[in-house]
Amino acid sequence: MLERFTNEARQAVDLAREEARRLRHEHVGTEHLLLGLLGRPETLSAQVLGDHGLDHDQASAAVTRVLGTSPVGDLDADALESIGIDLSTVREKIESVFGPGALDRDPHRDHKGVLVSGRRIMFTRRARKVLELAVRESIAMQSGDIRDGHVLLGLIREGEGLAARIMADAGVDFPSLTVEVRRRLT
Amino acid sequence: MSDTAQLANDAGSRDPATGLRAVRALRLLVERLEALQVENARTAGWSWQDIALLLGVSRQAVHKKYAGGRGLLRREK
Repeated sequence: MLERFTNEARQAVDLAREEARRLRHEHVGTEHLLLGLLGRPETLSAQVLGDHGLDHDQASAAVTRVLGTSPVGDLDADALESIGIDLSTVREKIESVFGPGALDRDPHRDHKGVLVSGRRIMFTRRARKVLELAVRESIAMQSGDIRDGHVLLGLIREGEGLAARIMADAGVDFPSLTVEVRRRLT
Repeated sequence: MSDTAQLANDAGSRDPATGLRAVRALRLLVERLEALQVENARTAGWSWQDIALLLGVSRQAVHKKYAGGRGLLRREK
């Protein structure tokens, strides 16, 4: 799906994954995509959102306020310590083979009923929808590639995720933001 | 370790809450580890039979747990 994404757009998606990992969240949601877009101040989307009064620190604080930073499924390091298991050592060894965050999530069933390890952090249905809408925006605008601005348009079009709520709470006006992003993308 | 700390430690280990919490944490850890290792083995082309053998469970058990019980009637390697 990410083939026609520019480097900036890809970086925003990668940053979204990192943000979700950093916050120890179970999934990558629209809120992490928003943080990914805001993560690099020089991008079109970060600039436009900044002009509308929203920066990374504010958005990050809002996400933490709503979701916290520690999921229920977090492994109990103290309990493991009580029987002589040093979770940080186990984590280090496993992550050196399976990558960062490999032990952070429980396994889950995918749409085919297959039990999949928690190694890779998954995108929520809504976040996937946002990326689809970004592609559609790009096609409608005949842009030829998908830039971070298209992802921002996708977030606005999706309109119901936590990202939209955070933007609305920060006083971002969606219609004028859309016009502005479209103008700067052409 | 000081005597006081040793005492506290011993007392803690006999506390059912501490013991049960440890079991629960260990089970969660095992489930996560098992899923990573089974996935890795399948990606490397291992059969359910070989995975089951090393895990010390039946082929049906590992297949049902990880493949969602699909394809049980199909012949699998």
